[in-house]
Amino acid sequence: MLNFDVLVIGSGGAGMRAALEAVRQEGLSVGLMTKMFPTRSATGCAQGGINGALQNADPADSIEKHFFDTVKGSDYLGDQDAIEHFVSQMPDAIRELDYFGVPFSRDGEGRIAQRNFGGASSPRTCFSADVTGHVILHTLYEQCLKHGVKVLAEWYLLQVVADQGKLCGIVAYDLKGGRIVPIATKAIVIATGGAGRIYWLRTTNPFTSTGDGIAACFDAGIPLKDPEFVQFHPTGLAGTGILMSEASRGEGGYLLNNKGERFMARYAPEKMELATRDLVSQAIETEIKEGRGFGEGLSAYVQLDLRHLGREKILERLPQIRDLAITFEQVDPINEPIPIRPSCHYVMGGIDIIDYRTCATAVEGVFAAGEACCVSIHGANRLGGNSLADIVAFGKFAGKGAADCAKQRHGFSEGLVGQAARAWEEKFQAVTTRKTGASVVSIRDRLAEIMWNNVGVFRTGADMEEALKVVDGLIKEYQTVMVPDQNKIYNTLFVNYIELGSMLTVAKAVVLGALNRKESRGSHCRADFPNRDDAQFLKHTIVSKQGSTYNISYRPVVITKYQPAERKY
Amino acid sequence: MRKITYKIERFDGVNNFVQEYSFPYQPGKTILWGLITIKDSLDPTLAFTAACRSAVCGACAVRVNGQAVLACETPLDAILERFGDTLTIAPIQNFKVIRDLVVDWEPQAARLAEAKTWLQPRDEFDARKGCRQTAADFKKINTQAACILCGSCASECSKLSANDQDFLEPFTYSKVWKFVADTRDKSAAERIQAIQDKGLWKCMHCAECITKCPKGLAPGEDIARLRQLSIKMGYTGNPGARHALSFVKDIEDTGRLNEAKLQVRTIGLISSIAKFPMALRLLRRGKLNPFHFPGKVKGHEQIQAILKAVRESEK
Ligand SMILES: Cc1cc2nc3c(=O)[nH]c(=O)nc-3n(C[C@H](O)[C@H](O)[C@H](O)COP(=O)(O)OP(=O)(O)OC[C@H]3O[C@@H](n4cnc5c(N)ncnc54)[C@H](O)[C@@H]3O)c2cc1C
Ligand code: SF4
Ligand code: SF4
Ligand code: FES
Repeated sequence: MLNFDVLVIGSGGAGMRAALEAVRQEGLSVGLMTKMFPTRSATGCAQGGINGALQNADPADSIEKHFFDTVKGSDYLGDQDAIEHFVSQMPDAIRELDYFGVPFSRDGEGRIAQRNFGGASSPRTCFSADVTGHVILHTLYEQCLKHGVKVLAEWYLLQVVADQGKLCGIVAYDLKGGRIVPIATKAIVIATGGAGRIYWLRTTNPFTSTGDGIAACFDAGIPLKDPEFVQFHPTGLAGTGILMSEASRGEGGYLLNNKGERFMARYAPEKMELATRDLVSQAIETEIKEGRGFGEGLSAYVQLDLRHLGREKILERLPQIRDLAITFEQVDPINEPIPIRPSCHYVMGGIDIIDYRTCATAVEGVFAAGEACCVSIHGANRLGGNSLADIVAFGKFAGKGAADCAKQRHGFSEGLVGQAARAWEEKFQAVTTRKTGASVVSIRDRLAEIMWNNVGVFRTGADMEEALKVVDGLIKEYQTVMVPDQNKIYNTLFVNYIELGSMLTVAKAVVLGALNRKESRGSHCRADFPNRDDAQFLKHTIVSKQGSTYNISYRPVVITKYQPAERKY
Repeated sequence: MRKITYKIERFDGVNNFVQEYSFPYQPGKTILWGLITIKDSLDPTLAFTAACRSAVCGACAVRVNGQAVLACETPLDAILERFGDTLTIAPIQNFKVIRDLVVDWEPQAARLAEAKTWLQPRDEFDARKGCRQTAADFKKINTQAACILCGSCASECSKLSANDQDFLEPFTYSKVWKFVADTRDKSAAERIQAIQDKGLWKCMHCAECITKCPKGLAPGEDIARLRQLSIKMGYTGNPGARHALSFVKDIEDTGRLNEAKLQVRTIGLISSIAKFPMALRLLRRGKLNPFHFPGKVKGHEQIQAILKAVRESEK
C-alpha cells in the first residue's frame, strides 16, 4: 500500500505552505495531492492582496489595529485568541513570502507596497499589481519544486478513513492512471479550499471549489463550524458570476436599477456604493426582488455604470475589469453599463479546528487549513485580504502540526483503508453501469437554484424550510444518479458526480446552520430576524453527523480583549 | 436555426477518433461554453479541464483550428466569423495526451525543476526580514511573473515540435529569465551556465510563443535576452553563438533584421544541416508557411543587442 508520514491534500496557498513546512522536518515522507495540476487552484484567482501590519505605508498601523479590525469585521464571532495569534504572525509570514520569491509591488524605499482595503483602518494590504494570489501560488509551487515535494497531481480525494477517532488513511482516485488507490498515512492536512460552487453559476469561485475536503471530513466524523456564513460579493458579472473587483466601486462606479436610479441612496445615503460588501449585496437583491432589476429569475441583474469615469481613467485604472466585461458580457464599460449581481465569494465556515496553534481537528491525525476549515478568525464576515493571509499563516501551522503528529503516531489499521478502496471500486462499477436515474447536471442545477433563491443573500425561516426539503429530496435522488462513463482514465464525469455529493453534503449543513441561527450577523442576513442577538447567538454553530443525521450544537466564542459592540462603518 | 459544430479530436486511452457535435448557436459565448454545453447536454464522457473560467489558471488551453488558445476567454463569435460554424478542437501539442483534451503536465513539471526555476535569494536577505527591491526592478520581472503555465507557447513552438529532447518549453526560459533579471537573486551566472546545454541556442525565432501567449509574455524575447547575457559572459564558442554572429552583416547592411528574410534563413539553415524531413514536417503542420509573412518580430531589438554584445566580446 502507498504510504506517507504526512499527506497534504489540496495545492492552493494553504496546501503548498503546509507541504513546505512538513518537508522541512527531517526524515518524514511528505506528499502533496491535488485534483488538478497544482497551479490551477483558486488561490490564483485572488487579485487584491494580502494583509499584514508591515507599517510600510503607514507607520501608525499596528498588529493591534489589524487585530481589532478583524474582530470587528467578523461581527464579533471570530475567536479572539486565534485572531491575535494570526495577526501577530502576518508581518513575518509576508516577509518570508518575499524571501521565497513572491514579486511584490514596491514602495519608494524598495519595501513591499501596501494599499487600502475595505474594513481596514490603515493601508495594510500588500499586493503585486492585480495578480497577488497568482504570484503567491506560483512562488509556493516553485518552492515545492525546489524542496522536492512529492506531488501527486490529478489525484482526487474520495474518502478520509478514520477508526474510533483516529486517522487510518485515505482513498484517492488517480485520474491519469485510472485507478482507485488506498493510501495509509499518519497525518493529513486537508487544504481543499471552499465550496462556493453550491451556488454553481452564481459564484466567483472556480469550478473546483466544490467542498470536497469539507464533506470528506464531515463524513469521517469531524464536525463543521459556522457553515451558515457565506460571503457574497456585490459585483459579479450577471451571466457568469465572475468577479468585478471592488476597485470598480472604489474608483467611483455607480449602481443603477431599471429606472436609472442610483439606488444605494435608499440604503446607505452617506457611503452610497462604498458601503460594505454585505450591505451592497443586500441592497441589490432588494431592488431585484421588488421588480427594479433587469431580466428575470436567476438571470436578473442591476447595472454597474463606469461611463462617467471617462475613457482615460477606465483604461488606466480598470483595464482588467474592462477586458472581463467585454469578454464575458460583450459590454465595453466605456460606452455601456455592466450587468452585475452578487456572487458567492467565500465560505467563512468549514472543518472545525479545535487547536488554532496546530490546526488539529477532533480526529487524531487530521489537520486542516485554508478556506476548507474554520479556525475561526473570519467569524461572520471575512475582510478582503485576510484569506490569503489566513492560508499562508495557518498553512504553516498545519504543516508543522501534522509533521509533529506523524512523528508520534504508529500502529493503526491499514486494513480499513484497503476495505474502503474496494468499496469505492464497487461504487464505481455500480454508478457507471446504471441505466436510469437523474443526471449529475440536473441535480447540480436544481441545488444551485434553491440555494440562491432561498439561502442566498436574504434568508427567512419559511424559505429555508422549503430549501431543506428540496435539498433532502436531491440527496435522495443522488442515490440513484446516472454516471454513464465506464472509462476509468480521467473520468471527469465520475469526478463531477463525487463533487456533487460533496456539494449536497455541505449545502445541507449551510441550510441547517442558517435555519437555526435566528438573528442577522455579518453575511447571514435574515429578513425575519433583522438584528444581531448576542444574548442568544454569540456562539459558534457546530454541525456533526451520525449516520445520515445532522446534529446541531453550539460552542462559545472566545473573547479576550474586545467586548462585542455594534458594528458601524 | 443556426448550429455550431465542434469536431473534437478524442482519445480514450487506447484509440484516437474524431467526434462531431452540433448545438444551437448563442451569441456572446466562449469556446469553453461550447465544450461545457457538449458535456452537460450531449456527451458527458467528453474530458477536458477548466477551473477559473477567467484566464488565470491555465487549465483550459486547447487548439482551435490549429491555434492554441484559452478556451475560457476566447469569444466564439470572433472565431466563427473567421472560420465558419464548424471548428476543430484538439488538445495542445507537444504534451502527452491523457484523454480527449486533457494533457499530462508531469514531464513538464520535472523539466521546470531541472532548470532550477526558483529564487536563490542574495546573502544580505533573510527569511525574517524579507528582501528589498526598487519599484523599477520589480517592473523588470512583472511581465514574466504573469505566466499562468497554460502551455500555449509550448504547443505552438516550432523547435519543440521538431525535437523536444534538446529544448525546454518556452515558458521555462521565461521563468529562467525572470530569476536572472530578479535583483533579489544571486545565481544569475550559475543559471546562464546551466542553460547553455539546455537548448538556449536552439530556438528558431519563429515567434509562435510570442503570438500565442494569452498573458503578453514573449518567451522568444526572453531567450534572446538570455543569449545576449550569455555572450556577454563569454560563452561564444558554441554553434549557436557563431550562428548569431553570422547575422551581424544583415544588421550592418540594413540596420535591422528583416523578419521575412529571417524566416527564409531559418528554413535555409534547417535544410543546410540536412534536416529537410523536419522542415517538411513543420510545413505540413502549418508551422513554417513559406507564403506567410509574419509581422515584425517583437524581439528584434534584443537580437540587435546580442550582436552588439558579440562585437564587444570580440574586442
Ligand atoms: C475571484 C477571487 C478573488 C479573491 N481575491 C482575494 C483577495 O484579493 N484577497 C484575499 O485574501 N482573498 C481573496 N480571495 C479568497 C482566496 O483567494 C481564497 O479563499 C484562498 O485562496 C483559498 O485558498 P486555499 O489554499 O484554502 O484553497 P484553494 O486555493 O481553493 O485550493 C484548493 C486546492 O484543493 C484541491 N482540491 C479540492 N478538492 C480536492 C479533492 N477532492 N482531491 C484533491 N484535491 C482537491 C484543488 O485542486 C486546489 O488545489 C479571492 C477568491 C476569489 C475566488
Ligand atoms: S521563438 Fe523559439 S521558443 Fe518561441 S516558439 Fe519559436 S522556436 Fe519556440
Ligand atoms: S508563457 Fe504564456 S503561453 Fe506560455 S505557458 Fe506562460 S502564459 Fe501560457
Ligand atoms: S479556465 Fe482557467 S484559464 Fe481558462
